[in-house]
Amino acid sequence: MSLSDFFTIPFLVNALVGGVLIAILLSVLSLFVFVKKWSFINIGISHAAFGGLAIGFFLGVNPTITGSLFAILVGVLIGYISKKGQVHEDISIGILLSFSMALGVVVMSFSNNYNSDLFAFLFGNILTITQQDIIMILVFSVISLGFLLYNLERIMYCCFDEELAYISKVNTKFFYYSLITLIAIATVLSIKLVGSVLSSAMIILPAAVSSQLFWKYKSIILASIFISVVVVFTGIVVSFQYNLPSGSTIVIIYSLIFFIVILVKRLFIR
Amino acid sequence: MIKVENLWVELNGNLILEDISLEIKKGEIVAIVGPNGGGKTTLIRTILGFIKPTKGRVLIDGKEPKDYIKSGKVGYLPQKSSYERDFPVSALDVVMFGLVEVKISKKEKEKKALEVLRYVGMESFKDKPFGKLSGGQQQRVMIARAIISEPELLILDEPSTGVDVVAQESFYEFIKKLNQEKGITVLMITHDIGAVGSFVHKVVGLNKKLHYFGDFKDFLQKSNVDKLYGSEVKLLIHSPECFTCQYFNVEVKRH
Ligand SMILES: Nc1ncnc2c1ncn2[C@@H]1O[C@H](COP(=O)(O)OP(=O)(O)OP(=O)(O)O)[C@@H](O)[C@H]1O
Ligand SMILES: [Mg+2]
Repeated sequence: MSLSDFFTIPFLVNALVGGVLIAILLSVLSLFVFVKKWSFINIGISHAAFGGLAIGFFLGVNPTITGSLFAILVGVLIGYISKKGQVHEDISIGILLSFSMALGVVVMSFSNNYNSDLFAFLFGNILTITQQDIIMILVFSVISLGFLLYNLERIMYCCFDEELAYISKVNTKFFYYSLITLIAIATVLSIKLVGSVLSSAMIILPAAVSSQLFWKYKSIILASIFISVVVVFTGIVVSFQYNLPSGSTIVIIYSLIFFIVILVKRLFIR
Repeated sequence: MIKVENLWVELNGNLILEDISLEIKKGEIVAIVGPNGGGKTTLIRTILGFIKPTKGRVLIDGKEPKDYIKSGKVGYLPQKSSYERDFPVSALDVVMFGLVEVKISKKEKEKKALEVLRYVGMESFKDKPFGKLSGGQQQRVMIARAIISEPELLILDEPSTGVDVVAQESFYEFIKKLNQEKGITVLMITHDIGAVGSFVHKVVGLNKKLHYFGDFKDFLQKSNVDKLYGSEVKLLIHSPECFTCQYFNVEVKRH
């Protein structure tokens, strides 16, 4: 099957459009997760999202909505805990994420379609993405990208040093929680693409790869977008062609690129 | 300008500051001195509103610290030894951060940033990764960032840390000039009492309690210094014959 044939299959076109949109959003958010060293918050969020999705699915409510609500709640909670620093954050995140995950699996077990639903939530299936999903992703991506790019310097300043940003009149609390909220919703959307197990990879890998290649944050954003779009596109096409799970294929390709970049850097650049 | 009234600060149950009261007038340059762990950083962080006092209060221009900060008229240099090595910003980016909420064009921001970078002698490093600069170079860039917004109140926590004598000298000259021309109030923590003595208006001697608050001349009375540090202290005041100053060809205007 040639590449042009792909564009005649409606569900594949949906998958490609949806996948690329999510990839762009995650690439931009990836920079902030990278500079804040927030991978642990993201892992907490993705597990919480899983619990939320399962509950929505079980109750017959749109799972994206319940998943997002759960993810935002847990994200804000983790953010609050790590800001106040009363309990050690690793412990609270560990407990929160195992709880949400376990809750999700228990709720899921009531469903008739236990195995296939569970598998889709854990590992994603972009080929099941609907037109309605795409519209939702499009609207959310445009709004959040607009917000992030308009406030790029402010948010970077907060990541650099929150107290200094505060002294310079930046509304640091607002940006802190906005960022967590956007990451939470984006994580829920990315579960469609790669599933909850791999969704943290999609927000950690873009900046991890491009920061090996560039050091200025604007270049890192552009490189992340470029690499992510290429990887997601390739992943979907390859997985369809060879009948592989799309999410895992994407993450494998991305991880390989990461290792190749590191290796090439070690070998040729000193 | 700054009014500290019967301030008590406890951190994790330890009493760090005990009953501090002082008033800093507009246009004054005030140095805070004292031994390590004496509570100097704690005092300025309480003045900035980052630490809530256990008792007493701080007023800046008659306002609560957080309300005064909203006016955007504060410049602050924190006491920080190093930043993330891989934080993806240039020296220029860091300086421009200081203007992020100022409504002028990007061109003008860049012009101002280059100007302050020139003041601290870091213009040629503008496009270098900030994280890869040396400690002293980072400190100079951070000083540039603190002054770029033309603050009314400049609060500096050990500005001379890691900065070489030549840069220190020109930085102090610059502080004096800012103070004389723009009338800005400067509150700075320093261990280098000798170097700032000639131009500070007041000295705060702090070691948990306020041991001294007054002008530099009286502070120099040996009993004041020894009481503050709790032991015999020899103070070095640079004279025009100072070898280091001559060696680095620093213009000495003191004495
Ligand atoms: N978060 C904290 N919790 C408990 N104690 C603290 C905290 N921060 C500082 N302290 C203690 O408060 C005291 C004063 O610290 P501070 O940093 O204000 O001193 P300093 O005068 O700035 O010292 P230096 O000259 O070393 O910078 C120290 O004994 C320190 O151990
Ligand atoms: Mg200190």
